[in-house]
Amino acid sequence: MNYFIEQLTNGLIIGGIYALIALGYTLIYGVLQFLNLAHGELYMMGSFFGFFTMVALGGPATAVVPIWLMIFLMFVVAMGGGALLGVAVERFAYRPLRKSRRLAALISALGVSLFLQSAALLLFGAKIRLYDTGMFINLRTGFNIGTARIDITEVLVVLLSVTLMIVLWIMVNRSQFGRAMRAVAVDQDAAVMNGIDVDRIVVITFALASGLAGAAGVMAGLLLFPVDQYMGLFAGLKGFTAAVLGGIGSIPGAMLGGFILGVVEAMVTGYLNPTYADFVAFVILIMVLLIRPRGLLGQPLVGKV
Amino acid sequence: MTSVGAIAALGLVLSGCAGGSDSTSSETTDAATAEETAAETATEEAAIICEGAIAVMAPLTGGAASIGQEQLNFAKLAVEDFNAANGSAYTLIESDTQLDAGQASTQATSIVSDSSIIAVVGPAGSQEVSAVGPAFADASLAFVSASATNPDLTNGDNATFFRVIPTDAVQGPTVAEYMVNELGADNVVILQEKTDYGVGIAKSASEALTGLGVTAEVIAVPEEKKTYDDIVSKIGEDVDVVFVTFQIAAKSEQVAQSLIKAGKTAVVFGSDGSFAAEFKTPGSYTAAFAPDVKGIPAAADVAARFSEQYGEFGTFGPPVYVASQAVMQAAQLACEAGSLDRAAVLAQMPNVLISDSILGGDIAFTSDGNVDGARFYIFSIDESGSPVLVQ
Repeated sequence: MNYFIEQLTNGLIIGGIYALIALGYTLIYGVLQFLNLAHGELYMMGSFFGFFTMVALGGPATAVVPIWLMIFLMFVVAMGGGALLGVAVERFAYRPLRKSRRLAALISALGVSLFLQSAALLLFGAKIRLYDTGMFINLRTGFNIGTARIDITEVLVVLLSVTLMIVLWIMVNRSQFGRAMRAVAVDQDAAVMNGIDVDRIVVITFALASGLAGAAGVMAGLLLFPVDQYMGLFAGLKGFTAAVLGGIGSIPGAMLGGFILGVVEAMVTGYLNPTYADFVAFVILIMVLLIRPRGLLGQPLVGKV
Repeated sequence: MTSVGAIAALGLVLSGCAGGSDSTSSETTDAATAEETAAETATEEAAIICEGAIAVMAPLTGGAASIGQEQLNFAKLAVEDFNAANGSAYTLIESDTQLDAGQASTQATSIVSDSSIIAVVGPAGSQEVSAVGPAFADASLAFVSASATNPDLTNGDNATFFRVIPTDAVQGPTVAEYMVNELGADNVVILQEKTDYGVGIAKSASEALTGLGVTAEVIAVPEEKKTYDDIVSKIGEDVDVVFVTFQIAAKSEQVAQSLIKAGKTAVVFGSDGSFAAEFKTPGSYTAAFAPDVKGIPAAADVAARFSEQYGEFGTFGPPVYVASQAVMQAAQLACEAGSLDRAAVLAQMPNVLISDSILGGDIAFTSDGNVDGARFYIFSIDESGSPVLVQ
């Protein structure tokens, strides 16, 4: 039982990161019916932004500000930088193709993904970075659930990811912006006719989604994921899988999909073999889509005939 | 009488002129001969300037780029030094493999089709060697790796492959003996990265541990895995040593940190892929196929010049210097024998002998392409995160 709890907590922690990435996919798809295949790279850039903020503040070993402030600023810079980058990508790579065929936008997204990887390589070099979290946070600080050890970074990651998800849900469902966003998602032309600035809504959506990806990047770094220009590739794929599993376009679905994916991976690793984890996760995805194509919490597509 | 005298005088004058002409002709002939000889010598000297391109296959970008760049820079230094010492004109061609077998295979095709390339230094990873071996064998292209340690690479499948470092058949027993004899380990877990390299060294270590009466559990880890908390959860509290077989040191560091987070006391022992600055948890250990050359007298000059030109270095670069020397020496022997092409270079590889190399001994190849008498070294990570030689 203890071992089960241990793997469950491992799965929920990594699932939180997948969920944040999945939320970005689902937000953008929900508004624009467009898959931002460069979303994983925004997560990667966020991780780099967080790393260099830490270094600029004297981290990891000799921070010149209190640790809590350093971590806070890492998130602020990563989310802000990610948001700006996302907005720039939308403006220059996607908006000109908004009226084009879907394939053109998809290819553009692939191009952006490769561009960002290469840009990261040129700007930051090829060396793998580690946040070395243990040098500014005592990793032994935490608590036990049975024999499962939850350290303070994991608590932070879970709390923050759940908080961000809740804030996003409230924003989408309870705010005027959210109402406008949902209107654009239903019918862009009708939204325009109702005085909604579609471009502004799209920009804010991209900013939100990219900011979440940036936050996920910092969380990954704090959990000691290696930071390099290729880290977004697989993470983006996992996030996309989580979004589809939960129902692309559904915010609760993205959250659920992320946590399910993380837990499945941890359980397969723990009880079967780590090499089967991805295989099983994708088999589950395929099975869900065969049985319920809209995903676990996705809404059925209704078209007027 | 007068006419006779005139004629005689004229004869004297003429003979004098003839004698002078004779001496001039003689001088002219001597000068011409001297010129011809000088020209022949110059031609001969010009003819023995040996030149050719050496391809360096290394992970210049990607997860192991810090290693690849170090390897490339040592190759550059080796070429400069060799050319300066031998009057040759070898050049380098860079080839980025990203430590990926597929990428290495693509690069190999390009290298084979470039007829100016007479030999190859690299690639770095065992899986890459397997990928490029057949192509290079078909092209009779000798290639010398400075870091591929899987023992199976020299079982005959890669006919033109050589290496200047020991194999995992040496590493496995070396690390196993250290774990058991020095660390007192009787419960070991091996994290086997699912690559040619990881599988090879894990097998070697596992067999060696079994021979020492220690059963090691092997946990296979996908190469693309990013987090290890779930893997660490599988490691029991009573495990003494976790032997990690990652090619990228940052992953070994992740495992060490995950163990600390989980409150587990197992010591992390990295294979030679862990020997890099990223692996720095105090109390850990790592193997290396080369010593820290900064302590070797024969390497002092090279180490100093490298540091001045390129900065700090670890253990992956110096063997590349030696590998580069090996291919250039073979090329030089081939050139001096009258033929400098790929087949000729390959034929001379068994004749290579680098005396008192910067790795601290002579370098010569055995019949299967391995280096004679090579050994592995063990380093512990001290409180400052730096490696310290312990064996």
